[in-house]
Amino acid sequence: MRNIYFVSTAAFWILIGGLWLVGLSAPKTLAETDAPVRKSYSLTEVAAHASPTDCWMAIHGKVYDVTGYLPDHPSRPEVIESWCGKEASVAYDTKTKGRRHSDDADRQLEGYWIGDLK
Amino acid sequence: MRNLAKSSAPVLSLAFVAGLAFWAYPEAGAPARQIGIVLGWIGCGMLLASLFLVLREPRLATLLGGLENMYGWHHRLGMAAYVALLAHPLLLAAASLPKSPREAWLLLSPFSESWPVWTGWLSLILLMAGLGVTFATRLRYLIRRPIHAALGLAVSIGLVHLLLLGIDEPVAPILLASFALLAWRLLREDWGVGASPYVVRSVARVSPNAVEVSLAPLGDPIAAEPGQFALVAFQSGRRFKGCREFHPFTVSSNDGAAGFRIAVKALGDCTRRIQSIEPGVPARVEGAFGDFLADPAPAPQYWIAGGIGITPFMALLRSGRLKRPTTLIYLYRSESDALFVDELHTIAANQSNVRLLHRATGDDPIDPADVLPVGEAIANGEFWLCGPPPMIDAFARFLRGRGIANRRMHFEDFGPL
Repeated sequence: MRNIYFVSTAAFWILIGGLWLVGLSAPKTLAETDAPVRKSYSLTEVAAHASPTDCWMAIHGKVYDVTGYLPDHPSRPEVIESWCGKEASVAYDTKTKGRRHSDDADRQLEGYWIGDLK
Repeated sequence: MRNLAKSSAPVLSLAFVAGLAFWAYPEAGAPARQIGIVLGWIGCGMLLASLFLVLREPRLATLLGGLENMYGWHHRLGMAAYVALLAHPLLLAAASLPKSPREAWLLLSPFSESWPVWTGWLSLILLMAGLGVTFATRLRYLIRRPIHAALGLAVSIGLVHLLLLGIDEPVAPILLASFALLAWRLLREDWGVGASPYVVRSVARVSPNAVEVSLAPLGDPIAAEPGQFALVAFQSGRRFKGCREFHPFTVSSNDGAAGFRIAVKALGDCTRRIQSIEPGVPARVEGAFGDFLADPAPAPQYWIAGGIGITPFMALLRSGRLKRPTTLIYLYRSESDALFVDELHTIAANQSNVRLLHRATGDDPIDPADVLPVGEAIANGEFWLCGPPPMIDAFARFLRGRGIANRRMHFEDFGPL
Protein backbone atom coordinates (compact mmCIF):
# COMPACT_ATOMS: atom_id res chain seq x y z
CA MET A 1 0.00 0.00 0.00
CA ARG A 2 2.88 2.33 0.79
CA ASN A 3 4.17 1.86 -2.78
CA ILE A 4 0.74 2.56 -4.29
CA TYR A 5 0.62 5.78 -2.28
CA PHE A 6 4.04 7.02 -3.36
CA VAL A 7 3.64 6.04 -7.03
CA SER A 8 0.13 7.52 -7.40
CA THR A 9 1.08 10.75 -5.56
CA ALA A 10 4.20 11.24 -7.69
CA ALA A 11 2.26 10.50 -10.92
CA PHE A 12 -0.43 12.99 -9.88
CA TRP A 13 2.04 15.86 -9.34
CA ILE A 14 3.91 15.07 -12.56
CA LEU A 15 0.66 15.18 -14.55
CA ILE A 16 -0.49 18.37 -12.81
CA GLY A 17 2.87 19.95 -13.63
CA GLY A 18 2.54 18.85 -17.26
CA LEU A 19 -0.97 20.25 -17.49
CA TRP A 20 0.18 23.54 -16.01
CA LEU A 21 2.97 23.86 -18.60
CA VAL A 22 0.68 22.89 -21.50
CA GLY A 23 -2.07 25.23 -20.25
CA LEU A 24 0.20 28.24 -19.88
CA SER A 25 1.90 27.78 -23.24
CA ALA A 26 -1.43 27.33 -25.11
CA PRO A 27 -2.81 30.18 -27.26
CA LYS A 28 -5.28 32.57 -25.61
CA THR A 29 -9.01 32.32 -26.16
CA LEU A 30 -10.88 34.69 -28.51
CA ALA A 31 -11.93 36.93 -25.66
CA GLU A 32 -8.41 37.26 -24.32
CA THR A 33 -7.03 38.35 -27.71
CA ASP A 34 -7.73 41.67 -29.36
CA ALA A 35 -9.94 40.09 -32.03
CA PRO A 36 -12.76 42.44 -33.08
CA VAL A 37 -16.38 41.74 -32.18
CA ARG A 38 -18.00 40.11 -35.13
CA LYS A 39 -21.71 40.70 -34.67
CA SER A 40 -24.54 42.04 -32.53
CA TYR A 41 -27.68 40.05 -31.76
CA SER A 42 -31.10 41.05 -30.45
CA LEU A 43 -32.87 39.14 -27.66
CA THR A 44 -35.32 37.85 -30.31
CA GLU A 45 -32.41 36.31 -32.20
CA VAL A 46 -31.05 34.82 -28.98
CA ALA A 47 -34.51 33.36 -28.23
CA ALA A 48 -34.32 31.35 -31.46
CA HIS A 49 -31.55 29.27 -29.87
CA ALA A 50 -33.42 27.90 -26.87
CA SER A 51 -32.74 24.16 -26.87
CA PRO A 52 -29.99 22.04 -25.28
CA THR A 53 -28.73 21.20 -28.78
CA ASP A 54 -28.57 24.89 -29.78
CA CYS A 55 -28.22 27.02 -26.68
CA TRP A 56 -27.41 30.76 -26.66
CA MET A 57 -27.54 32.99 -23.63
CA ALA A 58 -27.26 36.75 -23.11
CA ILE A 59 -25.23 37.63 -20.03
CA HIS A 60 -24.27 41.22 -19.11
CA GLY A 61 -24.66 42.60 -22.65
CA LYS A 62 -22.79 39.78 -24.36
CA VAL A 63 -24.14 36.78 -26.28
CA TYR A 64 -22.66 33.32 -25.73
CA ASP A 65 -23.20 30.07 -27.63
CA VAL A 66 -22.84 27.62 -24.73
CA THR A 67 -24.14 24.52 -26.56
CA GLY A 68 -20.71 22.87 -26.36
CA TYR A 69 -20.39 23.67 -22.67
CA LEU A 70 -23.76 22.27 -21.45
CA PRO A 71 -22.54 18.68 -20.87
CA ASP A 72 -19.63 20.07 -18.80
CA HIS A 73 -21.74 22.18 -16.42
CA PRO A 74 -21.45 20.67 -12.92
CA SER A 75 -25.08 21.05 -11.79
CA ARG A 76 -28.09 19.03 -12.92
CA PRO A 77 -28.75 19.68 -16.66
CA GLU A 78 -32.16 21.34 -16.14
CA VAL A 79 -30.56 24.05 -13.97
CA ILE A 80 -28.64 25.52 -16.91
CA GLU A 81 -30.78 24.30 -19.82
CA SER A 82 -33.80 26.28 -18.64
CA TRP A 83 -31.83 29.47 -19.42
CA CYS A 84 -31.17 28.63 -23.10
CA GLY A 85 -32.42 31.45 -25.40
CA LYS A 86 -32.80 33.90 -22.49
CA GLU A 87 -31.21 36.85 -20.77
CA ALA A 88 -29.42 34.89 -18.03
CA SER A 89 -27.44 37.59 -16.13
CA VAL A 90 -29.51 37.16 -12.96
CA ALA A 91 -29.01 33.38 -12.98
CA TYR A 92 -25.29 33.86 -13.59
CA ASP A 93 -25.01 36.31 -10.70
CA THR A 94 -27.00 34.20 -8.22
CA LYS A 95 -25.48 30.74 -8.52
CA THR A 96 -26.14 30.14 -4.84
CA LYS A 97 -28.16 32.55 -2.72
CA GLY A 98 -26.85 35.82 -4.13
CA ARG A 99 -23.36 34.57 -4.94
CA ARG A 100 -22.19 34.97 -8.52
CA HIS A 101 -20.13 32.54 -10.57
CA SER A 102 -16.40 32.59 -9.99
CA ASP A 103 -13.74 34.53 -11.91
CA ASP A 104 -12.67 31.18 -13.29
CA ALA A 105 -16.18 30.69 -14.69
CA ASP A 106 -15.97 34.21 -16.21
CA ARG A 107 -12.80 33.20 -18.03
CA GLN A 108 -14.36 29.96 -19.23
CA LEU A 109 -17.49 31.78 -20.42
CA GLU A 110 -15.46 34.14 -22.56
CA GLY A 111 -14.44 31.15 -24.66
CA TYR A 112 -18.07 30.84 -25.83
CA TRP A 113 -18.58 34.55 -26.66
CA ILE A 114 -20.03 35.04 -30.15
CA GLY A 115 -21.11 38.71 -30.09
CA ASP A 116 -22.77 41.60 -28.25
CA LEU A 117 -26.40 42.14 -27.34
CA LYS A 118 -28.13 44.86 -29.38
CA MET B 1 -20.33 -18.27 8.96
CA ARG B 2 -16.96 -16.73 9.81
CA ASN B 3 -16.11 -16.34 6.09
CA LEU B 4 -19.56 -14.95 5.27
CA ALA B 5 -19.17 -12.26 7.93
CA LYS B 6 -15.65 -11.44 6.73
CA SER B 7 -16.79 -10.93 3.14
CA SER B 8 -19.78 -8.79 4.18
CA ALA B 9 -17.58 -5.71 4.81
CA PRO B 10 -16.21 -5.52 1.24
CA VAL B 11 -19.44 -6.72 -0.40
CA LEU B 12 -21.62 -4.12 1.36
CA SER B 13 -19.07 -1.34 0.75
CA LEU B 14 -18.69 -2.14 -2.92
CA ALA B 15 -22.47 -2.44 -3.41
CA PHE B 16 -22.89 1.05 -1.91
CA VAL B 17 -20.12 2.47 -4.11
CA ALA B 18 -21.47 0.75 -7.26
CA GLY B 19 -24.95 2.16 -6.56
CA LEU B 20 -23.52 5.65 -6.22
CA ALA B 21 -21.49 5.30 -9.45
CA PHE B 22 -24.54 4.01 -11.34
CA TRP B 23 -26.66 6.92 -10.09
CA ALA B 24 -24.00 9.51 -10.93
CA TYR B 25 -23.02 8.22 -14.38
CA PRO B 26 -23.40 11.21 -16.72
CA GLU B 27 -25.28 10.51 -19.97
CA ALA B 28 -23.45 13.07 -22.07
CA GLY B 29 -19.96 14.48 -22.40
CA ALA B 30 -16.51 13.27 -23.39
CA PRO B 31 -15.63 9.74 -22.13
CA ALA B 32 -12.73 11.08 -20.03
CA ARG B 33 -15.12 13.52 -18.35
CA GLN B 34 -17.70 10.77 -17.73
CA ILE B 35 -15.06 8.53 -16.15
CA GLY B 36 -13.66 11.49 -14.17
CA ILE B 37 -17.09 12.25 -12.67
CA VAL B 38 -17.78 8.62 -11.84
CA LEU B 39 -14.34 8.25 -10.22
CA GLY B 40 -15.09 11.28 -8.06
CA TRP B 41 -18.28 9.62 -6.81
CA ILE B 42 -16.55 6.24 -6.40
CA GLY B 43 -13.84 7.90 -4.31
CA CYS B 44 -16.45 9.71 -2.24
CA GLY B 45 -18.43 6.49 -1.67
CA MET B 46 -15.34 4.49 -0.74
CA LEU B 47 -14.22 7.15 1.76
CA LEU B 48 -17.64 7.10 3.38
CA ALA B 49 -17.62 3.28 3.58
CA SER B 50 -14.08 3.46 4.95
CA LEU B 51 -15.27 5.91 7.62
CA PHE B 52 -18.11 3.54 8.55
CA LEU B 53 -15.62 0.70 9.02
CA VAL B 54 -13.75 2.45 11.86
CA LEU B 55 -16.78 2.32 14.16
CA ARG B 56 -15.82 0.12 17.10
CA GLU B 57 -19.13 -1.40 18.08
CA PRO B 58 -18.97 -5.04 19.26
CA ARG B 59 -22.20 -6.12 17.49
CA LEU B 60 -21.26 -4.39 14.25
CA ALA B 61 -17.79 -5.97 14.43
CA THR B 62 -19.34 -9.44 14.80
CA LEU B 63 -21.58 -8.85 11.75
CA LEU B 64 -18.69 -7.57 9.65
CA GLY B 65 -16.17 -10.30 10.45
CA GLY B 66 -14.27 -8.70 13.33
CA LEU B 67 -12.48 -5.46 14.04
CA GLU B 68 -9.27 -6.52 12.28
CA ASN B 69 -11.23 -7.39 9.14
CA MET B 70 -13.05 -4.04 9.28
CA TYR B 71 -9.78 -2.13 9.74
CA GLY B 72 -8.17 -4.07 6.90
CA TRP B 73 -10.98 -2.99 4.57
CA HIS B 74 -10.88 0.54 6.02
CA HIS B 75 -7.27 0.75 4.80
CA ARG B 76 -7.89 -0.87 1.39
CA LEU B 77 -10.95 1.27 0.63
CA GLY B 78 -9.18 4.42 1.80
CA MET B 79 -6.23 3.73 -0.50
CA ALA B 80 -8.47 2.92 -3.50
CA ALA B 81 -10.51 6.09 -2.82
CA TYR B 82 -7.31 8.15 -2.78
CA VAL B 83 -6.21 6.84 -6.19
CA ALA B 84 -9.72 7.42 -7.66
CA LEU B 85 -9.83 10.96 -6.27
CA LEU B 86 -6.38 11.79 -7.68
CA ALA B 87 -7.54 10.60 -11.11
CA HIS B 88 -10.84 12.55 -10.87
CA PRO B 89 -9.54 16.11 -11.56
CA LEU B 90 -6.93 14.84 -14.02
CA LEU B 91 -9.57 13.15 -16.17
CA LEU B 92 -11.88 16.18 -16.04
CA ALA B 93 -9.00 18.30 -17.31
CA ALA B 94 -8.04 15.68 -19.89
CA ALA B 95 -11.55 15.89 -21.36
CA SER B 96 -11.04 19.61 -22.04
CA LEU B 97 -7.53 19.20 -23.46
CA PRO B 98 -8.52 18.60 -27.12
CA LYS B 99 -10.82 21.65 -27.01
CA SER B 100 -8.43 24.02 -25.27
CA PRO B 101 -5.34 23.13 -23.19
CA ARG B 102 -5.67 26.52 -21.53
CA GLU B 103 -9.24 25.75 -20.44
CA ALA B 104 -8.09 22.34 -19.18
CA TRP B 105 -5.57 24.01 -16.87
CA LEU B 106 -8.03 26.75 -15.78
CA LEU B 107 -10.45 24.00 -14.74
CA LEU B 108 -7.99 22.82 -12.05
CA SER B 109 -5.82 25.85 -11.45
CA PRO B 110 -5.68 26.59 -7.71
CA PHE B 111 -4.78 30.19 -8.66
CA SER B 112 -8.27 30.80 -10.02
CA GLU B 113 -10.43 32.47 -7.42
CA SER B 114 -12.99 29.76 -7.14
CA TRP B 115 -14.22 28.13 -3.93
CA PRO B 116 -15.29 24.89 -5.65
CA VAL B 117 -11.72 24.46 -6.96
CA TRP B 118 -10.12 25.52 -3.66
CA THR B 119 -12.21 23.10 -1.59
CA GLY B 120 -11.41 20.32 -4.07
CA TRP B 121 -7.69 21.02 -3.69
CA LEU B 122 -7.90 21.34 0.10
CA SER B 123 -9.68 18.01 0.34
CA LEU B 124 -7.05 16.30 -1.84
CA ILE B 125 -4.13 17.87 0.05
CA LEU B 126 -5.62 16.77 3.40
CA LEU B 127 -6.07 13.25 2.02
CA MET B 128 -2.47 13.30 0.81
CA ALA B 129 -1.14 14.50 4.19
CA GLY B 130 -3.34 12.15 6.21
CA LEU B 131 -2.28 9.10 4.22
CA GLY B 132 1.32 10.31 4.03
CA VAL B 133 1.75 10.35 7.82
CA THR B 134 0.13 6.91 8.04
CA PHE B 135 3.05 5.58 6.05
CA ALA B 136 5.65 7.74 7.82
CA THR B 137 6.33 5.06 10.43
CA ARG B 138 9.30 6.98 11.86
CA LEU B 139 6.96 9.62 13.24
CA ARG B 140 5.64 8.93 16.73
CA TYR B 141 2.22 7.28 16.89
CA LEU B 142 0.89 10.14 19.03
CA ILE B 143 1.73 12.60 16.22
CA ARG B 144 0.61 10.37 13.35
CA ARG B 145 -2.77 9.52 14.83
CA PRO B 146 -4.39 13.01 14.95
CA ILE B 147 -3.07 13.82 11.46
CA HIS B 148 -4.52 10.54 10.20
CA ALA B 149 -7.84 11.56 11.79
CA ALA B 150 -7.72 14.73 9.62
CA LEU B 151 -8.72 12.41 6.79
CA GLY B 152 -12.24 12.59 8.20
CA LEU B 153 -12.12 16.36 7.63
CA ALA B 154 -10.99 15.75 4.04
CA VAL B 155 -14.19 13.75 3.43
CA SER B 156 -16.37 16.61 4.69
CA ILE B 157 -14.49 19.26 2.69
CA GLY B 158 -14.72 17.08 -0.43
CA LEU B 159 -18.49 17.01 0.02
CA VAL B 160 -18.59 20.81 0.49
CA HIS B 161 -16.70 20.97 -2.85
CA LEU B 162 -19.65 19.16 -4.45
CA LEU B 163 -22.20 21.46 -2.80
CA LEU B 164 -20.34 24.52 -4.11
CA LEU B 165 -20.48 23.04 -7.60
CA GLY B 166 -24.26 23.13 -7.30
CA ILE B 167 -24.63 19.38 -6.80
CA ASP B 168 -26.85 19.28 -3.74
CA GLU B 169 -28.52 15.93 -4.35
CA PRO B 170 -27.64 13.50 -2.74
CA VAL B 171 -24.66 15.36 -1.28
CA ALA B 172 -26.44 17.03 1.65
CA PRO B 173 -27.59 13.70 3.19
CA ILE B 174 -24.14 12.16 2.52
CA LEU B 175 -22.49 15.16 4.23
CA LEU B 176 -24.78 14.69 7.23
CA ALA B 177 -23.97 10.96 7.29
CA SER B 178 -20.23 11.70 7.24
CA PHE B 179 -20.59 14.16 10.15
CA ALA B 180 -22.66 11.60 12.05
CA LEU B 181 -20.02 8.88 11.50
CA LEU B 182 -17.19 11.22 12.56
CA ALA B 183 -19.09 12.36 15.65
CA TRP B 184 -19.99 8.75 16.55
CA ARG B 185 -16.38 7.64 16.36
CA LEU B 186 -15.02 10.72 18.17
CA LEU B 187 -17.55 10.97 20.99
CA ARG B 188 -18.58 7.38 21.62
CA GLU B 189 -15.29 5.67 20.98
CA ASP B 190 -12.26 8.01 21.09
CA TRP B 191 -13.62 10.05 24.01
CA GLY B 192 -15.13 6.90 25.50
CA VAL B 193 -18.69 8.21 25.99
CA GLY B 194 -20.02 4.78 24.96
CA ALA B 195 -17.43 2.82 26.98
CA SER B 196 -18.19 0.87 30.16
CA PRO B 197 -16.71 2.13 33.46
CA TYR B 198 -14.37 -0.28 35.26
CA VAL B 199 -11.87 -0.05 38.11
CA VAL B 200 -8.57 -1.87 38.65
CA ARG B 201 -9.27 -4.37 41.42
CA SER B 202 -5.85 -5.98 41.70
CA VAL B 203 -2.52 -6.24 39.91
CA ALA B 204 -0.26 -9.31 39.83
CA ARG B 205 3.24 -9.44 38.41
CA VAL B 206 3.51 -12.45 36.08
CA SER B 207 7.04 -11.85 34.73
CA PRO B 208 9.74 -9.18 35.17
CA ASN B 209 8.20 -7.18 32.30
CA ALA B 210 4.49 -8.12 32.44
CA VAL B 211 1.60 -7.69 34.86
CA GLU B 212 -1.88 -9.16 34.97
CA VAL B 213 -4.50 -6.51 35.70
CA SER B 214 -7.88 -7.51 37.10
CA LEU B 215 -10.72 -5.16 36.12
CA ALA B 216 -14.02 -4.97 38.00
CA PRO B 217 -17.13 -3.45 36.39
CA LEU B 218 -18.76 -0.36 37.93
CA GLY B 219 -21.87 -0.86 35.78
CA ASP B 220 -22.97 -3.59 33.37
CA PRO B 221 -19.98 -5.83 32.56
CA ILE B 222 -18.95 -6.38 28.94
CA ALA B 223 -19.30 -9.90 27.52
CA ALA B 224 -15.67 -11.03 27.25
CA GLU B 225 -15.08 -14.56 25.93
CA PRO B 226 -11.70 -16.35 25.96
CA GLY B 227 -9.85 -15.46 22.75
CA GLN B 228 -11.35 -11.98 22.61
CA PHE B 229 -9.73 -8.62 23.29
CA ALA B 230 -11.05 -5.43 24.84
CA LEU B 231 -10.06 -1.81 24.27
CA VAL B 232 -9.07 -0.28 27.58
CA ALA B 233 -8.21 3.33 28.45
CA PHE B 234 -6.67 3.69 31.92
CA GLN B 235 -7.30 7.01 33.62
CA SER B 236 -5.12 8.63 36.27
CA GLY B 237 -5.08 7.23 39.82
CA ARG B 238 -3.41 8.48 43.00
CA ARG B 239 0.10 7.87 41.67
CA PHE B 240 -0.57 6.34 38.25
CA LYS B 241 -0.61 8.74 35.28
CA GLY B 242 -3.32 7.61 32.85
CA CYS B 243 -2.77 6.78 29.16
CA ARG B 244 -6.11 8.36 28.12
CA GLU B 245 -6.35 6.65 24.74
CA PHE B 246 -7.72 3.15 24.16
CA HIS B 247 -5.33 0.22 23.69
CA PRO B 248 -6.27 -3.34 22.72
CA PHE B 249 -5.55 -5.99 25.39
CA THR B 250 -6.31 -9.69 25.10
CA VAL B 251 -8.48 -11.12 27.86
CA SER B 252 -6.45 -13.52 30.04
CA SER B 253 -9.39 -14.59 32.20
CA ASN B 254 -13.14 -14.12 32.15
CA ASP B 255 -14.15 -13.78 35.80
CA GLY B 256 -17.90 -13.57 35.13
CA ALA B 257 -19.77 -10.86 37.04
CA ALA B 258 -16.52 -9.99 38.85
CA GLY B 259 -15.03 -8.68 35.58
CA PHE B 260 -12.06 -9.89 33.56
CA ARG B 261 -8.29 -9.87 33.51
CA ILE B 262 -5.73 -8.73 30.94
CA ALA B 263 -2.00 -9.42 30.68
CA VAL B 264 0.08 -6.36 29.83
CA LYS B 265 3.69 -6.59 28.67
CA ALA B 266 5.91 -3.48 28.68
CA LEU B 267 6.20 -2.80 24.95
CA GLY B 268 5.52 0.94 24.54
CA ASP B 269 5.10 4.16 26.55
CA CYS B 270 1.64 3.32 27.89
CA THR B 271 2.24 -0.38 28.58
CA ARG B 272 5.50 0.50 30.42
CA ARG B 273 3.56 2.87 32.65
CA ILE B 274 0.91 0.19 33.32
CA GLN B 275 3.61 -1.97 34.94
CA SER B 276 3.28 0.27 38.00
CA ILE B 277 -0.52 0.62 37.93
CA GLU B 278 -2.29 0.45 41.30
CA PRO B 279 -5.67 -0.90 42.47
CA GLY B 280 -8.40 1.74 42.36
CA VAL B 281 -7.36 3.26 39.01
CA PRO B 282 -10.49 3.95 36.95
CA ALA B 283 -10.65 2.59 33.39
CA ARG B 284 -13.02 2.74 30.44
CA VAL B 285 -13.59 -0.44 28.46
CA GLU B 286 -14.96 -1.10 24.95
CA GLY B 287 -15.64 -4.55 23.59
CA ALA B 288 -15.12 -7.33 23.62
CA PHE B 289 -14.02 -8.02 20.05
CA GLY B 290 -12.66 -10.97 18.07
CA ASP B 291 -13.52 -14.62 17.47
CA PHE B 292 -10.14 -16.27 18.04
CA LEU B 293 -10.60 -19.77 19.58
CA ALA B 294 -14.35 -19.69 18.83
CA ASP B 295 -15.99 -22.75 17.21
CA PRO B 296 -13.08 -25.21 17.13
CA ALA B 297 -13.48 -28.05 14.60
CA PRO B 298 -13.99 -31.60 15.93
CA ALA B 299 -10.28 -32.35 15.54
CA PRO B 300 -7.16 -32.43 17.73
CA GLN B 301 -6.29 -28.88 18.66
CA TYR B 302 -2.78 -27.44 18.47
CA TRP B 303 -2.17 -24.12 20.17
CA ILE B 304 1.09 -22.38 19.35
CA ALA B 305 1.87 -19.39 21.58
CA GLY B 306 4.84 -17.03 21.63
CA GLY B 307 5.65 -14.83 24.67
CA ILE B 308 2.67 -12.66 25.67
CA GLY B 309 0.71 -14.60 22.97
CA ILE B 310 -0.14 -17.18 25.67
CA THR B 311 -2.89 -14.83 26.93
CA PRO B 312 -5.94 -15.98 24.86
CA PHE B 313 -5.09 -19.66 25.48
CA MET B 314 -4.73 -18.96 29.20
CA ALA B 315 -8.25 -17.52 29.28
CA LEU B 316 -9.73 -20.66 27.66
CA LEU B 317 -7.72 -23.02 29.88
CA ARG B 318 -8.85 -21.14 33.00
CA SER B 319 -12.49 -21.30 31.85
CA GLY B 320 -12.27 -25.12 31.99
CA ARG B 321 -14.37 -25.36 28.82
CA LEU B 322 -11.92 -27.42 26.79
CA LYS B 323 -13.76 -30.05 24.71
CA ARG B 324 -11.06 -31.40 22.41
CA PRO B 325 -7.64 -32.94 23.02
CA THR B 326 -5.29 -29.98 22.99
CA THR B 327 -1.53 -29.65 22.64
CA LEU B 328 -0.19 -26.31 23.85
CA ILE B 329 3.24 -25.38 22.53
CA TYR B 330 4.47 -22.35 24.43
CA LEU B 331 7.66 -20.64 23.25
CA TYR B 332 9.45 -17.68 24.79
CA ARG B 333 12.85 -16.08 24.38
CA SER B 334 14.11 -16.61 27.96
CA GLU B 335 12.68 -17.83 31.26
CA SER B 336 12.08 -14.19 32.26
CA ASP B 337 9.74 -13.79 29.25
CA ALA B 338 7.59 -16.79 30.27
CA LEU B 339 4.15 -16.05 31.71
CA PHE B 340 1.92 -18.30 33.83
CA VAL B 341 4.22 -21.37 33.50
CA ASP B 342 3.50 -22.69 37.01
CA GLU B 343 -0.25 -22.28 36.52
CA LEU B 344 0.00 -23.99 33.11
CA HIS B 345 1.69 -26.99 34.74
CA THR B 346 -1.10 -27.20 37.32
CA ILE B 347 -3.80 -27.03 34.63
CA ALA B 348 -2.06 -29.68 32.47
CA ALA B 349 -1.78 -31.95 35.53
CA ASN B 350 -5.51 -31.56 36.31
CA GLN B 351 -6.97 -31.64 32.77
CA SER B 352 -6.31 -34.95 31.03
CA ASN B 353 -6.96 -33.59 27.51
CA VAL B 354 -4.25 -30.92 27.78
CA ARG B 355 -0.66 -31.63 26.79
CA LEU B 356 1.88 -28.90 27.56
CA LEU B 357 5.22 -28.30 25.88
CA HIS B 358 7.13 -25.12 26.70
CA ARG B 359 10.58 -24.01 25.71
CA ALA B 360 12.94 -21.03 25.88
CA THR B 361 14.10 -20.44 22.31
CA GLY B 362 16.89 -17.91 22.87
CA ASP B 363 17.52 -15.24 20.26
CA ASP B 364 17.66 -17.62 17.28
CA PRO B 365 14.49 -18.23 15.26
CA ILE B 366 12.74 -21.47 16.20
CA ASP B 367 12.54 -24.40 13.79
CA PRO B 368 8.89 -25.59 13.96
CA ALA B 369 10.04 -29.17 13.24
CA ASP B 370 11.74 -29.18 16.66
CA VAL B 371 8.48 -28.74 18.57
CA LEU B 372 5.67 -30.04 16.34
CA PRO B 373 4.94 -33.78 16.21
CA VAL B 374 5.68 -35.51 12.91
CA GLY B 375 3.44 -37.18 10.30
CA GLU B 376 -0.09 -38.35 11.04
CA ALA B 377 -0.28 -36.65 14.42
CA ILE B 378 -0.71 -33.19 12.93
CA ALA B 379 -2.30 -34.15 9.59
CA ASN B 380 -5.85 -33.92 11.01
CA GLY B 381 -5.24 -31.14 13.51
CA GLU B 382 -6.56 -27.62 13.75
CA PHE B 383 -4.00 -24.94 14.56
CA TRP B 384 -4.34 -21.71 16.51
CA LEU B 385 -1.34 -19.39 16.50
CA CYS B 386 -0.75 -16.29 18.60
CA GLY B 387 2.57 -14.50 18.99
CA PRO B 388 5.08 -12.27 17.24
CA PRO B 389 4.59 -12.09 13.42
CA PRO B 390 7.98 -13.73 12.53
CA MET B 391 7.10 -16.76 14.68
CA ILE B 392 3.60 -17.01 13.18
CA ASP B 393 5.05 -16.75 9.65
CA ALA B 394 7.59 -19.52 10.34
CA PHE B 395 4.92 -21.91 11.67
CA ALA B 396 2.38 -21.07 8.95
CA ARG B 397 5.02 -21.75 6.27
CA PHE B 398 5.97 -25.01 7.91
CA LEU B 399 2.36 -26.20 8.28
CA ARG B 400 1.51 -25.31 4.67
CA GLY B 401 4.56 -27.32 3.65
CA ARG B 402 3.06 -30.26 5.55
CA GLY B 403 -0.17 -29.92 3.54
CA ILE B 404 -2.28 -28.21 6.24
CA ALA B 405 -5.01 -26.13 4.54
CA ASN B 406 -5.31 -22.43 5.41
CA ARG B 407 -8.83 -22.96 6.79
CA ARG B 408 -7.33 -25.16 9.53
CA MET B 409 -4.96 -22.39 10.66
CA HIS B 410 -6.12 -19.40 12.71
CA PHE B 411 -3.95 -16.45 13.61
CA GLU B 412 -3.99 -13.73 16.19
CA ASP B 413 -1.00 -11.49 15.66
CA PHE B 414 -0.37 -8.43 17.76
CA GLY B 415 -0.41 -5.83 14.99
CA PRO B 416 -1.47 -2.22 15.62
CA LEU B 417 -5.21 -1.62 15.40
